[in-house]
Amino acid sequence: MTEPVYLDNAATTPLDPRVLESMLGHLGGRRGNPSSLHAFGGSAREELEEARDSVASLIGASPGEIVFTSGGTESDDGAVLGLARSAGPNKRHAVVSSVEHAAVREAARRLELEGFEVSWIGVDADGIVDPVEFAAALRPDTALAAVVWANNEVGTVEPVPELAEICAEREVPFHADAVQAAGRVPIDVSETPVSTLALSGHKLYGPQGVGALYVREGVSLEPIIYGGGQERGLRSGTQNVAGIAGLGTAARLAREEIEPRVAHERTLRDRVMAGMEALPDVFVNGHRERRLSNNVHLTVSGVEAESLVLFLDSLGYAIGSGSACSSGGHKASPVLLAMGLPEREAFSVVRITVGKDNTPEEVDGFLGAFSTAVEQLREISPLYAG
Amino acid sequence: MSERYRPQVVDHLVRPRNAGEISDPSGRGESGDAACGDVACFTVGISDNVLKHVRYKVYGCAACIAAGSALAELVEGRHLLDAARVSKAGLVDALGGPLPAGKEHALTLVLDALHKAFEDHWNRKAGDMLDAHRGRGAGGKSVVAAMSGGVDSAVTSLLLKEAGYDVATVTFRLHDGERGSRSCCSPDTVLFARDTAHRMGLPHFTLNLKDLFDRRVMQDFVGSYTEGRTPNPCVACNAHVKFHASSFLADELGFHHVATGHYARVEEGPTLARPVDESKDQTYVLWPVPRELLARTIFPLGKYRKTDVRAIAEERGLAVAYTPESQDICFIPDGDYRRFIRKKVAAKPGDVVDDEGRVLGRHAGVVDFTVGQRRGLGVSAPTPLYVSEVRPRSGQVVVGRRQDLEVREVRVRDLNWFLDPEQAACVQVRYNGSPVPCTVEETANGGWVAYLDEPVIGVAPGQSAVFYTGDGERVVGGGVVARRSS
Repeated sequence: MTEPVYLDNAATTPLDPRVLESMLGHLGGRRGNPSSLHAFGGSAREELEEARDSVASLIGASPGEIVFTSGGTESDDGAVLGLARSAGPNKRHAVVSSVEHAAVREAARRLELEGFEVSWIGVDADGIVDPVEFAAALRPDTALAAVVWANNEVGTVEPVPELAEICAEREVPFHADAVQAAGRVPIDVSETPVSTLALSGHKLYGPQGVGALYVREGVSLEPIIYGGGQERGLRSGTQNVAGIAGLGTAARLAREEIEPRVAHERTLRDRVMAGMEALPDVFVNGHRERRLSNNVHLTVSGVEAESLVLFLDSLGYAIGSGSACSSGGHKASPVLLAMGLPEREAFSVVRITVGKDNTPEEVDGFLGAFSTAVEQLREISPLYAG
Repeated sequence: MSERYRPQVVDHLVRPRNAGEISDPSGRGESGDAACGDVACFTVGISDNVLKHVRYKVYGCAACIAAGSALAELVEGRHLLDAARVSKAGLVDALGGPLPAGKEHALTLVLDALHKAFEDHWNRKAGDMLDAHRGRGAGGKSVVAAMSGGVDSAVTSLLLKEAGYDVATVTFRLHDGERGSRSCCSPDTVLFARDTAHRMGLPHFTLNLKDLFDRRVMQDFVGSYTEGRTPNPCVACNAHVKFHASSFLADELGFHHVATGHYARVEEGPTLARPVDESKDQTYVLWPVPRELLARTIFPLGKYRKTDVRAIAEERGLAVAYTPESQDICFIPDGDYRRFIRKKVAAKPGDVVDDEGRVLGRHAGVVDFTVGQRRGLGVSAPTPLYVSEVRPRSGQVVVGRRQDLEVREVRVRDLNWFLDPEQAACVQVRYNGSPVPCTVEETANGGWVAYLDEPVIGVAPGQSAVFYTGDGERVVGGGVVARRSS
């Protein structure tokens, strides 16, 4: 069989060879602890600061506002829990969208267990948060609000600039999970008044296990990890220098190449969508225009997602089953339920996410395989009348 | 995420065997729920108890599809008895080894769908004739054993198997109040019974008897209370449901005997005799089993004490060894039968009167009262008062002193005799009562009357009166206690 085709870039992207190259020196060569005073430490420190500059540039931040973390989940948890815990005893309320990634959702549920009240903001059928409903939920005792910049499952892009403005006027700290959006949607924190923003390396062709949290200057944030006071005391622990160097390179490349990448992804995405339109009873979920350049999210009537994913896997194509995070247990995705998808359809959803390295030929091959797999699984499905 | 699937699973997924649907099947079974993410559907073509055709459809994860495919492949062409024996372990072997953690439900799902197709096949064959069925003779060593999922019925099947019988097990769906009813798969009791049978290497079937049970047992139960009688639902079930259904299946399979986990013995005749474990004696509720069915019935536990039965289960590693004793009334799991009846019929208030008709108080409905009852009368008196009679037509509950409840003669109707009535030397009128010496005499209207040597109290119409031989060991016959006026 030929090399398998990877169409699950929202789960993780391949590592860019240029990123790998930039990491190798810190994995194989001499190394120091960036906190050390000697030359070894100094060299590591320089790497960190160079990466910090690159990450800051990607989102229009100052380098001093970037905190390196172990990834998107830590960044989200750190922001949600940190903002809530530093808000003071009279602010025990949070406003959170119902289409958050599990990292934000579960952190907010943790806050509920700690006695916070959380207003979960609904979405329309495309998964978009209504700014009016959002604004109405803000209260004098609101400690924070959080809305994902672009949803990881259906790829819908939220009106984060507008929501952040509302929060800035009301002086409510606002967190945006930009793990999927970064590198695809223009993000400029000098224009958009978010308080905190989460980034991840491995969605940007960078390494897994490293991410960043933007913390706007002046925003008070209680850390969730305590120790030697690294990263301005906001994230103790010796930094993952190789990973951070990789993240820095990935962020620099993402900034430099965002336009051709997005254009390429869009072409492939639209090719996938056009191919899907030819198939009976296959529906696109999420907003048609306000969606990530790489995301196609589908309901395939009468076909259960896991069986379709594994069928395609056997044919050499890798796609995601709805959300990779919820496919371990058989539970409908809260995001899809929030969008009003009936529970019985919530197991019939798959996610195809293209990337900068995919080709039109791969997409065409995939469309053929997809059609075969769907046809065969529907033949044995008691829920598809055809 | 779970671990990866074996290549055999992926092979079944990509090249499913026997997928599809039979257009005119002998039986169709579905298990699961789209809202849970899995649905399996089997259609079967059966003739001469051979599974000629098996087709399946599955909406579900790869494990479910592969399990369905493997199961269909495994059972097609097999005799029903062999197909009904295929266990989760057998399916795992066919799939090349255990499924990834968290995917084991796929095995339960597809087996349940197949078994529901068998059940549908039997129920189609039985039609309305199920309760009219009568047995053929005994003789060979093959038996259909009823399995409830409890320790007694499991050990029954085990003992028969160890005694060299061909055993097929059957579990009845009797009502919707079964434990662990979920939207997916069958209630836990059925799944548990099936697992237990399969662990013993025995085929397992299910029969849906809900209509029959509702008609013959539950409606009678509710009706009895509203008519001022005290029903015994186990008696009604033994009279019309359990033995008939077991016998139906035995006939269909060409099997000779039927067996249950009752504590009783069958002797030549056939005669019903008390078991070794007197504390578990169930002869009182078995009197209505028709003679021709009793003749083919085996009660293996009649020779054992309950403690022995538990020990056998423990020694053989049956998972049922520590299950609690079953409820008095299986379709009222919380035991609150008054609430159950009030849900079915509206209660009408009436008077509490003495035997001269003087009104002593009011009550909320006759369904709350049964003959012999002392509590909850809502009437205060210098001496304790008991319900002596319930008159549903007038709505009166008659109360009296203890001695007013004493009776010396009991009228009995709907008799089922195993022995010559002349052998009836004593009669038992309550489940946990003792037999009282008596003489019997046939009445003009076909009923019988028992003249008691000593008075008993609290003889309630609707309860069973069971006659025993002089040594108290064998059941001569039994019937239903009639109203005094009748």
